[in-house]
Amino acid sequence: MSILSPFRNLLNTRHDIARNLKTKGKKVIGWSCTYTPEELIYAVSALPLMVFGDVENTKLADIYLPVNTCSFARGCFNTALKGDYDYLDGFVASSSCDNRDKIFDMWRHHAEIPYMHFVNTPHTRTKRAQTFFYEEILKLKTWLEKSFGRMIPEIRLKNAVEIYNENRRLLRRVYDLRKKEPPLISGVEALEIVLSSMVMLKENHNELLNRLLAEVSSRADPPKGGVRLLVAGSVMDNSKLLKIVEAVGGSVVADDWCTGSRYFWNLVDSNGDPLHAIADRYLNKIPSSFMLGQEERFGHSMKMAKTFDVDAAIVFTLKFCDTHLFDAPQLKEKLRTQGLPVLLLEWEHSLSGLAQMKTRIEAFIEMVGGV
Amino acid sequence: MEKSEIDRRLQTTKGFYRNYVRKFYEDAHKTKAEGTPVAWVASTFPIEMLLATNVFPVWPENYASICAAKHVSVRLCEIAESKGFSKDLCSYARCVIGSLFEKRANLPEGGLPKPDFLVTSTSACDTHYKWFQVISRHFNVPLFLLDVPYNIKGKSSSHLEKEHIEFYVSGLNQLIDFLEVQTGKKIDKRRLQETIALSDQTSKLWMEILDYRKTIPVPMGARDAFSAVFFMLCIPSTHMAIEFYTKLNSEVRKRVENNFGITEHEKYRLIWDNLPLWYNLEFFEYLKKQGAVVVAETFSHVWMGRLDPVKPMEALAKKYLPNFANCSIDRKIDLIEDLAEKFKVDGIILPTNWGCRMMSVGETIVKEEILKRLGIPSLIIDVDSSDWRSFNETQIKKRVEVFLQMLNRDN
Repeated sequence: MSILSPFRNLLNTRHDIARNLKTKGKKVIGWSCTYTPEELIYAVSALPLMVFGDVENTKLADIYLPVNTCSFARGCFNTALKGDYDYLDGFVASSSCDNRDKIFDMWRHHAEIPYMHFVNTPHTRTKRAQTFFYEEILKLKTWLEKSFGRMIPEIRLKNAVEIYNENRRLLRRVYDLRKKEPPLISGVEALEIVLSSMVMLKENHNELLNRLLAEVSSRADPPKGGVRLLVAGSVMDNSKLLKIVEAVGGSVVADDWCTGSRYFWNLVDSNGDPLHAIADRYLNKIPSSFMLGQEERFGHSMKMAKTFDVDAAIVFTLKFCDTHLFDAPQLKEKLRTQGLPVLLLEWEHSLSGLAQMKTRIEAFIEMVGGV
Repeated sequence: MEKSEIDRRLQTTKGFYRNYVRKFYEDAHKTKAEGTPVAWVASTFPIEMLLATNVFPVWPENYASICAAKHVSVRLCEIAESKGFSKDLCSYARCVIGSLFEKRANLPEGGLPKPDFLVTSTSACDTHYKWFQVISRHFNVPLFLLDVPYNIKGKSSSHLEKEHIEFYVSGLNQLIDFLEVQTGKKIDKRRLQETIALSDQTSKLWMEILDYRKTIPVPMGARDAFSAVFFMLCIPSTHMAIEFYTKLNSEVRKRVENNFGITEHEKYRLIWDNLPLWYNLEFFEYLKKQGAVVVAETFSHVWMGRLDPVKPMEALAKKYLPNFANCSIDRKIDLIEDLAEKFKVDGIILPTNWGCRMMSVGETIVKEEILKRLGIPSLIIDVDSSDWRSFNETQIKKRVEVFLQMLNRDN
């Protein structure tokens, strides 16, 4: 058994783990956007859990959603309709894109979850926007306290910040393992590590990460390496696509997406009032494409490409994800100024059209590798 | 078209494009050449703020609809697609991005005049500011984004949250700073109040016009409404708008007094949601031939709202925050419910828009809720407002005909 296996196993059995925690009296609260301040959910003694969508047909969601809806949002909604998330005690959404705003209506009307809340996330970072977001975080806190009958004292919040920051620092060290050639962990493994951190209690994840970091240099099954790649995009909530990339000669060593570096790159300032620090951290982290700071995000992509010494980049855009679809050609142009070959790839969350996608990825990697 | 039907078209809107729209674009080019700054602006932006300065605002969305009506939009969309912009993006956005790479001589009205800066908000969709970022990079001109909180409660303007109004007003103050830098002139507070007062007057006239359409037979149809809304949308606070709506108002009122409708055979009264098929406005004539008249559009009801000139900034917040694009779907359901009752409606057409999440997602809930609340059926049709490659005419017409038969009010 590989030292990486626990992460994959946790990911695959995430619903069972959540259900099991519930039998021990733990509340489970789902979230769907990395702008959701998980620390607060954690501080109310609940398990914060990112809602993923199963890769499968979406027959149930198709009844309610038009074809031209974000396929990730569709996948999540379908999984909820199927009953896979029937254990959720609450759900926190965020106004981070049209798809999420509108899909929240769907959840409110059709998903049976006892408590739901919507965080209004600004799209700018002006002083007034900071204040507004802080007030939103306060409202989230009040909602959590009222819905789950437990106060969130400052000490618990500080504790949550510490555990979350520790997780972020450890994930950063895990990412550093990919600077080597060949990297010490593969892109698929790195993704599964990050994803597993989103569905389990962070202190348990920290333990696993510490063990991994202690043992990884002597691992018996290191990745073989290949064409070093940066991947960019929005959400990648399963490792199926990256498995294909790495099976045809790619070696994903860096990313710029929500379920990767953008999730943990920035820490919460542990000095001062934790609520303000949390609000600051989430609004000012490396921006997603719905935020106005487009240049900053492109800058992050370019920096990742340089730091991790990549040979090329693949920009994945989920079908019907407007903000990223507008950014993609511009990001491509930016990365090309750094001398990188770039492949733009639109993908469906359900992974339909996979064979054709595989051909394109393979051709791209061959082209880059042949140079 | 039978002669009697031709005679039923409104006089005031005849030659609308030539007399008003073309003139608007001619003025825009002329003013730009004379050195006045041109701003590109997106819908649901508080346009009154710009009209109170010497800036000339133009609307890429309006321009895209013109390109669609003139049947050049798909060619322009294809240019944008060749630059890497997905075919699933908003057709307005693709069309205008495409036009940046086309010779002006090949564009309707010589294209849009080059912007000096761009302004948009988050109060309708993501597309607005993402699209404008592309344009801002292309021309290397500044972009101002009015950050507007999403209204999840979806209640009427009297239920707006205090924090939302405050956030909006603070955004307007930032906008003033931005405009003062761009134009090099201080904003004239009195002119702003005058502009707000004019906009209020325009809105009042427009609301009256729309109200006349409660009458059976309906005195004004969707085609005229989608033309005439141009002033409400683009230049509400101008004397030209007031003059036009006064004329239209009196013509429509006379029709009501004389019991004169847009067709002799009004059988079904419909609400049309979202955008029309700009490349196929004849679709409304086709509906009329089936005895179906559109008595209200959600689109023509978005832009209006009374404004209190004494508190201009708050007035704008209260006008634009509750627009249904910025609210959860309940707001649209309430609007349609209200319209359906007041306008004595038999059915609702809910066209989705291929490149638009805001208009497409949630229509199933509208359909379900309206049926539950009022027993009125809806028909969802999957189309696109400006890209006719996503419009299957035969199939859509067949579905509409089946829907109308089902309404079967003609006993």
